[in-house]
Amino acid sequence: MRPTWIAAAAALLACAQPAAAEKTSLSVLKLASSGPVFLAQDLGHFAAEGLEVEFKFFTAAQPVAVAVVSGDAEFGVTGLTAGFYNLAGKGALKIIAGQSREEPGYKLSAYMVSNQAYDAGVRSPADFAGRSFAMTQVGSTFHYMIGLLAEKKGFDLSKSRLLALQSIPNMVSALKGGQADTAILPSTVAVPMFDRGDAKIVGWAGDETPWQLGALFTSPKTLEGKRATVERFIRAYKKGVAAYDLAFQKKGDQAATDKALDILAKYTEQQKGAIAAGLPYIDPEARFSAKDIAKQVAYWQAQGQADKTVDAKEIVVTSFVQSLD
Amino acid sequence: MAERLRFRGGGFVIQRKRHAGWIAGFVIIAAWQASSSLGWASPVFLPSPAGIAKALAGLALSGQLARDVSASLARILVGFSLGASAGLAFGLALGLVSHARAAGLPIVSALFPIPKIALLPLFILWFGIGEPSKWATIGLGVFFPMAIATYSGVDQVPRTLIRMAQSFDVPTAAIVCKVILPGALPGILAGIRISASIALILVVAAEMIAAEHGIGAFILSAGNLMRTEDLLAGVCVLSALGLTVGWAVSRAERRLLGWR
Repeated sequence: MRPTWIAAAAALLACAQPAAAEKTSLSVLKLASSGPVFLAQDLGHFAAEGLEVEFKFFTAAQPVAVAVVSGDAEFGVTGLTAGFYNLAGKGALKIIAGQSREEPGYKLSAYMVSNQAYDAGVRSPADFAGRSFAMTQVGSTFHYMIGLLAEKKGFDLSKSRLLALQSIPNMVSALKGGQADTAILPSTVAVPMFDRGDAKIVGWAGDETPWQLGALFTSPKTLEGKRATVERFIRAYKKGVAAYDLAFQKKGDQAATDKALDILAKYTEQQKGAIAAGLPYIDPEARFSAKDIAKQVAYWQAQGQADKTVDAKEIVVTSFVQSLD
Repeated sequence: MAERLRFRGGGFVIQRKRHAGWIAGFVIIAAWQASSSLGWASPVFLPSPAGIAKALAGLALSGQLARDVSASLARILVGFSLGASAGLAFGLALGLVSHARAAGLPIVSALFPIPKIALLPLFILWFGIGEPSKWATIGLGVFFPMAIATYSGVDQVPRTLIRMAQSFDVPTAAIVCKVILPGALPGILAGIRISASIALILVVAAEMIAAEHGIGAFILSAGNLMRTEDLLAGVCVLSALGLTVGWAVSRAERRLLGWR
């Protein structure tokens, strides 16, 4: 009898103790647009899926993608750039779920005009035609947004001087000094600039040109070798997205909103007021638009910034989340 | 009969081996191409030499290469001329005038190790985002090595030659022109060799900010776009420029220092 008892006790113990959490890693920016993963972490959604997620923080979109390619992180979540598509086109990255989108009514990216240019008559996004434009880098999300604006307003971007200034602080000082006429800046930077009178805000990118700004992605190696992990990660990610939606988009539960804001403030190291004012729209089911991704790839290819060999269909994996299209 | 002594004094004499450099380069590139062709090196991490050559050909055919190289060379020319001539004058003053040396040498020592790239934001404030801030970045980077090379070149002119000229009552101006300057020329040319390479390094840094054309801007945007073939093609162009500058300085050395 005794051995059976011991075996039963051992089995009971094994059931009571949760299996050791599987370690995985995510490269991410300290921005409010990364909110869902911060919420999934602090609300315990990753842990509930048996995942121990280590965050690797970066300061620009590019290194976030490179970290996933180099194997330093298994997942990445950030804005989509021409550099991202060039890496993905070589078969190094796959988009598996959506992140932030520019949507009407969401004040995420501001069209800004220097005071000098404003006085000279640049009063609306349509007036950006032929004006010098400050951005971080060639192929950045800012570059794409001015491209979308040019397309919508029907002006020729090749007649504007595009100033690649490498960083947002450089963009701020160029705009302040009037060395650049226009820029697109994140609201966390744009609103304080406007309040200090350093430059004028003349519109928001979400109102003019909605687009799929960010995505969750992984490497083909992780996708093939650890499919179960990817599935669990996305389940937890979706719960994070739902929490984000409940807290900031549905706004039903004030306590949930306050708690979520606390978590975002902790990770982004920003004032709660600034975060709340510049929250991006995120699809409540973490869906993304494959059509919009294809449009972005086509735009960069037409501009000569993405290789002709990049195939938008190869980049996206639509088996984890429903398609928006 | 004593045995003829073998000549044993030939060690470490550098002989000109014309082909070794070409063969070494060829072997490295062939091994690199082979590892890419065999699939050992992923194109994401290391593009193949053939891919880089294709990127270079594309750049040359589209006219972008000529536009970028001429934009960068114009910047280097202005920045280098300003920085090198100022460095030469300052170095001569350090070498010739005791007061200038006492006052100037600590200043040079204090300012030389500052990375000029760190001053880029300041240059943008002072000179704007146009060409002057790029000239300043290159010029300041070139100034210090040039000043130091000139100063030590002057310092190494044999004292006996100067004393001899003085004892023949040669006027000071003539001593400077006919004894000190030719004597310091090897040092000055070495300074030009180093500072020309520094100018090539700094043009990439200078073109980080708001440069529409230029080989540095091209390399940076290729990096931003993760187009590694283009990036390495740009690096090859920079290397070719460096080789050209080195060759030109060697020619100048052979011509100007023939009297040695």
